[in-house]
Amino acid sequence: MPGPVMPDQAIGTSMRNKDRISAFLTLLPSIILIGIFVYGFIGNTFWISLSDWGGAAALAENPVKSYVGFANYLDLFTGFLGGGFRQDLVNAVFYSVMLLAGAIGIGLILAMLLDNKPRGESFFRTVFLYPMSLSFIVTGTIWRWMLAPQGGVNILPTYVGLPPLRFPWLSSTDAILLFNWQNLLPIALYLVSLVLIIWGLWRLKNNPAKALVLLIPGVVVGGSVWLWGDLLPQALFMEEIHGFNTATFGIIMATIWQYSGYTMALYLAGFTGISQDLRDAAMLDGASTAKYYRYIALPMVKPITISAIIILSHISLKMFDLIFAMTGPDNGQTGHPALNMYLTTFRANDFARGAAIAIILFIIAATFIIPYMISSYRQRRSR
Amino acid sequence: MAQVELRDVVKKFGSTQVVHGTNLTIEDNEFIVLVGPSGCGKSTILRMIAGLESVSGGEIRIADKPINEVDPVDRNVAMVFQNYALYPHMTVFDNMAFSLKMAGDSKQEILRKVNEAAEILELSPYLNRKPAELSGGQRQRVAMGRAIVRQPSVFLFDEPLSNLDAQLRTQMRMELKKLHLKMKTTTIYVTHDQVEAMTLADKIVILKDGFIQQVGSPVEVFERPANRFVAGFIGNPPINMLPGVFHREGESSSVTMGALTLPVPEARNLQDNQRVLVGIRPDAIKAGDSVTRFPKEWRFTVDVVVAEILGGQSLLEFTAGKNTMIAELEGRILARQGESMELGFDLNRLLFFDPETELALY
Amino acid sequence: MKRLVLRACVAAFAAVLLAGAPAVQAKELSGELEIFSWWAGDEGPALQALIDIYNKKNPNVKVINATVTGGSGVNAKAVLKTRMLGGEPPDSFQVHAGQELIGTWVKADRMEDLTPFFKKQGLMTVFPQGLLKNIGTDKGIWSVPVNIHRSNVMWYIPANLEKWGVKVPATWDEFFEIAPKLKAQGIVPLALGENWTVNHLWESVTLSVLGAENWDNLWSGKLAFDSPVAMNAWVEFTKVLEFTNADASTLSWQQATDMVVDGRAAFNIMGDWAAGYLSTTKQLAPKTGFGWAPSPGTSGKFMFLADSFGLPKGAKNRETALAWLALLGSREGSDAFNPLKGSISARTDSDLKKYNAYGQSAAADFKKDRIVGSLAHGVTANEGFMNDFASIMEVFLKTHSPVATAKAAQQVATKNGIGK
Repeated sequence: MPGPVMPDQAIGTSMRNKDRISAFLTLLPSIILIGIFVYGFIGNTFWISLSDWGGAAALAENPVKSYVGFANYLDLFTGFLGGGFRQDLVNAVFYSVMLLAGAIGIGLILAMLLDNKPRGESFFRTVFLYPMSLSFIVTGTIWRWMLAPQGGVNILPTYVGLPPLRFPWLSSTDAILLFNWQNLLPIALYLVSLVLIIWGLWRLKNNPAKALVLLIPGVVVGGSVWLWGDLLPQALFMEEIHGFNTATFGIIMATIWQYSGYTMALYLAGFTGISQDLRDAAMLDGASTAKYYRYIALPMVKPITISAIIILSHISLKMFDLIFAMTGPDNGQTGHPALNMYLTTFRANDFARGAAIAIILFIIAATFIIPYMISSYRQRRSR
Repeated sequence: MAQVELRDVVKKFGSTQVVHGTNLTIEDNEFIVLVGPSGCGKSTILRMIAGLESVSGGEIRIADKPINEVDPVDRNVAMVFQNYALYPHMTVFDNMAFSLKMAGDSKQEILRKVNEAAEILELSPYLNRKPAELSGGQRQRVAMGRAIVRQPSVFLFDEPLSNLDAQLRTQMRMELKKLHLKMKTTTIYVTHDQVEAMTLADKIVILKDGFIQQVGSPVEVFERPANRFVAGFIGNPPINMLPGVFHREGESSSVTMGALTLPVPEARNLQDNQRVLVGIRPDAIKAGDSVTRFPKEWRFTVDVVVAEILGGQSLLEFTAGKNTMIAELEGRILARQGESMELGFDLNRLLFFDPETELALY
Repeated sequence: MKRLVLRACVAAFAAVLLAGAPAVQAKELSGELEIFSWWAGDEGPALQALIDIYNKKNPNVKVINATVTGGSGVNAKAVLKTRMLGGEPPDSFQVHAGQELIGTWVKADRMEDLTPFFKKQGLMTVFPQGLLKNIGTDKGIWSVPVNIHRSNVMWYIPANLEKWGVKVPATWDEFFEIAPKLKAQGIVPLALGENWTVNHLWESVTLSVLGAENWDNLWSGKLAFDSPVAMNAWVEFTKVLEFTNADASTLSWQQATDMVVDGRAAFNIMGDWAAGYLSTTKQLAPKTGFGWAPSPGTSGKFMFLADSFGLPKGAKNRETALAWLALLGSREGSDAFNPLKGSISARTDSDLKKYNAYGQSAAADFKKDRIVGSLAHGVTANEGFMNDFASIMEVFLKTHSPVATAKAAQQVATKNGIGK
């Protein structure tokens, strides 16, 4: 926590300039390397995604790449053969949401339990953290066995005399929360209006003026989509149903299993960092254990929650090996854009389209991290 | 309206006992200071009163009700912590309002109480700031404000000033005292700083190794310490403590420390030739004009070791009859090493201790 | 006899050297040879046997065995592609014979035509014409097949069939007659595994519906995927899938085969690597312990797939690579490799005594049957089509509509330039 701002006029300007130059020189090599190998390559990938590199002569010594604009993107989102990718994208959304909710929720509960120093706390900490040390391939293999239709999880109830479960964890072809991709635009607008309205209601208490700025557009957008939604262009020329495939549930479980220990460790570190005095003070102020976490501990570890969200959402966007190990590469039910990208690029030799998928994933990842970076930058500036 | 009473209170951590059957009564509205070196059990006693530690044996009563099993929040005590324990993510207002919110007070009620406390502590301009944006003294006041708003029957302070610099500490000490005079609430204050204890307390409790050494007013513990430890712990610069032998010849008695013999004016319940420890407060030794006020037998010529000038006062280290002592003298004493100097000893303030039991001999 | 073989080899070598590097004359080869494959695990010893022979013949050549394991070659192919794009081709690399090689590497002009080499080695006559047609184009022949596997084989346990009172169906109609009876006894008529085994089953079913001629036409572009004939294949496939296990997508092909062995299922259609699994891992005797037949409706047709090695343009060690290819094509090389790998030789003159009962029967069929290529294993369609075939299958499994699926398939075929 930085203290009150102190003007550092004592330090001479020339001294500071010198410091800056040497700092810049120290950073220069990594700036150059990152510039080339990260941003340069992102740029190159973006360029490839705008080309038509692929097809029969994709692997020629000097492949012909011509500019085709956003055709690859358009094709992925609205083309006939992009259906698989679209389902993958829907899957990725559900993977992310469920992993975030599950791993953070369970990790938080575990951390709270261990924070109260039960007997054998360090033993349990190791136990919960252990899955984290496994590779995704190992986790995937273990869970593939556990979720086999006639074994593992499904026969658990028989140990207490109940009939075995029959749920086909990884091979289910059911889907829930179905929607038609044709209606993508109205659905997106409904979501926007929902977010605006909820946000507005939340602000209503403290800042009614700001709340109205949110509420009115929210209601207007929602209402006009409801009234004239049919006039919006359809995203696809034919009906295409996507939804939450229940087969992904097993994969989500395995990921949560692997990462809740990690979030637990993050939270536990945060909770242990809160001084005992603060906890005592809260106790004297009349906060129960639940209220202590609700009002004191959780707000204090907000940076941890944010980094957990960022890390986990990135993991869910890069989920590849686990799906590969659990349901294989060509399983549309449980597909993921990252897997699709790999196969499109390196199996189908469709480098341009693979690059387009990579850029889409990159943009999704950026939407998670950029708001965070802006807010932390602003915080630093205001201090 | 709360008297706090400790009856045979014992605290054990595992097999280690840290508080040994403490008995203590703190009267209503009294400002009591628990003082002692670290590890003496003073904080543990405070935390037991607050309910942050369980009581291993005995009983604690507040307002004549046993509270051993009462939840901290229901004891109606408020505590100020050494590092303030402010909630860093809340504004000053929210910090002060938190306990009221937990208690379910109405919004108007909370607003009124917090503003009132802020007024008293001069925190009103800072209510919307976060603790990180405040100075140490301001944070300290917020911590106190948080305690005040609850209108508790007992205030508990756990070394609240030790994180402040010396100047601020003196200032806050005064404010604390004023606050107590205004609020008239029973206050238990823990510190290791005997100056704080002396200036703040109505009654000082000196602890060592989990045992109470002495309970008394600041003057009492200074002038009539119960034992060698109290004599040494209270007072700055520390008391001069020298081994000696008591002599009695008829009506007159004296004490000999090496080559120095001091007449003992008061009749003491001591035997001839009894070995004693002699305590002389540095401020019981005078120099300059005031020496002439002492009888001739009370004046001695000593050799200066070193003199330190502390503004209006001076500290003088000297030897008298091969005994090294320190005197706290008025005025600026300019003296060189090896110089001779005449000093007057206020022998009415001589203290005697048993070398074996270390108890005071009066 | 031995001496004769040896002499043939030496002669072959001289020819290679002359063809490859006329300036060097019949000097002994030296330098390095880097061979790239995904053969580790079970296939490792077979590859090692070949390398051993090569080392014996060319003691001065250092063989670098670059293997990239995992994912039935998916990983290896990705690594190969990045190497080739980076201008660093291995001297010779493993690739599925047929369009998987042609569509990716020949179309990109990265392979050398091996026709002169085939002629020099006399391979034009020892390989069946049907095979040569599949591994070459009108512009040349592009790789040397090391082994031949058959895709359209149906596996069963004779004792079990007897117990349940069913005979091996020769056509799908016969299968549809017995399948309900098996189902009534709680037996899965046809065991199926994860995604790619579904494709594998599809090609057997489709071959039976279309026949060999139309199968070939499908891939040469003469028969449209959404033509009524081709659509029929999806109709038939729908019916077949009704008799498979529901948990297919969670099973590996071995687990699906296990269902047959354990008596939970009656039949399984799988490539003939299953023979190795059944005899070696499961310790069953060919013919008595386990039985096989061409998948229903495909008798007299041999749907093949083959691993092969080609010669990339710009290979650093062209001469040693040519010597490697010569060994692969030779009778000695292929008869050393295939018994260990559990496959048969592409040569019609291989020494059948070295093969087990299944191998002998397969070799006999290979010699006389009509040879067609496999889709699931890279012979008939390029990699782009094979990749998109997964989404075709997805459409099918979701809609169960032969019309929609066939239309999707035709789109995919057009996009990937099938028959062009």
